[in-house]
Amino acid sequence: MQEEDRLDLELHRRIAAGDREAFDELYRRYSGAAYGLALRVTAQDTIAQEVVQDAFLALWRAPEAYDPSRGAFRSFFLSLVHHRAVDAVRREQRLRNRTERASNLEPLRGEDVAEDVVEGAYLAVRRKEVRSALETLPPEQRQVLELAYFGGKTQVQIAEELRIPVGTVKTRTLAAMRKLRRALYRED
Amino acid sequence: MSQDHERIEELLAGYVLLSLSGEDAIEADRLLSEHVPTCPMCRETLAGFQAVVGELPVAAAPAIVPDLVLPRIHRGMADTPAHVRRGVSRIAVAASVAALVGMAGFSVSLSGRASKAEEQRGRALAVLSAMRQPGASPVSLPSQSGSSGGLVEVSGPTLERMYVYGDDVPNPAPGHEYQLWLGSGGTFQPIGDTFRPEDGIVLLELTVDTTRFDEIWITEELAGSHPSVPSADGTHSWRSALAA
Repeated sequence: MQEEDRLDLELHRRIAAGDREAFDELYRRYSGAAYGLALRVTAQDTIAQEVVQDAFLALWRAPEAYDPSRGAFRSFFLSLVHHRAVDAVRREQRLRNRTERASNLEPLRGEDVAEDVVEGAYLAVRRKEVRSALETLPPEQRQVLELAYFGGKTQVQIAEELRIPVGTVKTRTLAAMRKLRRALYRED
Repeated sequence: MSQDHERIEELLAGYVLLSLSGEDAIEADRLLSEHVPTCPMCRETLAGFQAVVGELPVAAAPAIVPDLVLPRIHRGMADTPAHVRRGVSRIAVAASVAALVGMAGFSVSLSGRASKAEEQRGRALAVLSAMRQPGASPVSLPSQSGSSGGLVEVSGPTLERMYVYGDDVPNPAPGHEYQLWLGSGGTFQPIGDTFRPEDGIVLLELTVDTTRFDEIWITEELAGSHPSVPSADGTHSWRSALAA
């Protein structure tokens, strides 16, 4: 276990005991990444703020939802943010007409929109690794993966948007996930 | 790899990305409750895909959170009574966790064993707190059989869980237990374990993606029968459309 993961675990333990300072520290560590993710999925700052707010409050109200035996806190919490952001996208009618900013590839190619966001250096390191892994995917596979994950779209919606059969979306998604898994975990 | 497993992996990949809908989502849920827990290859695949999805969030560019967000969170924390945190914690500790816990969108924890009055009160307060959350949508479940007990389902976009609470709920017929089902387009699937009221009290706590479903149904089933479709001929049942 890495030192940063150990620190997260300790902060989580203190939050479970009602320690508000620990909560603020965890907020400092992950609010930038959480907000960036929520913004990317919802493409609306007010909705993204609500998503981040709800996710942190959920953590405060039910810290036991995180089970350390199931992986890093970082993955748990940001997945919670992602899930809520996707829920928001699908629930909010007005978001159906949102711009394509949420799901295009541009943000991954350019500089971060907020380079001075306060967060742990390890997050920036991991970001580069994950983006490098994404870069290894063929464009058509990366496109369906990003439309699904960062666009919050269903496979049927992706097929309609790209005007390709749903079966092709499924095939590309599976291929992308397999390649990404190999790239991230150096599997042969 | 068999053709079936190729198809299952396709579903698992779409599942962890939250991108399944319609029949695919229903099939994935069925696989996750029936096949995956017994198939080492599928469990390993699912765990690998979940790990990948767990890393994807950091690919998004971070952004500066507006200053007003943290004070709003602090106000929300101040509005969270200590007993709610303790109550939720007790529920979790008591929960019997299904084999799928942790799977995005379909992790289920179930607690229907309120054994002490104090715990029952704490859990009821947790439900009441959930009802007050923004966007919470309490739905009364009318009895299909004229039973006296009242049941309420609470879920909402800002809630992490779905609750079903009831009091004065009659015991099921001898040899039977209650089963909760969620349905989509008239097709239902069982959620969690079967349960019985204790002193007339029922409290179910589920983490489940309710957006996939449009109906909730609680039926009386033969204990240990593991039915795949709801029985419509039980003595007691409650059924309602879920809030949109």
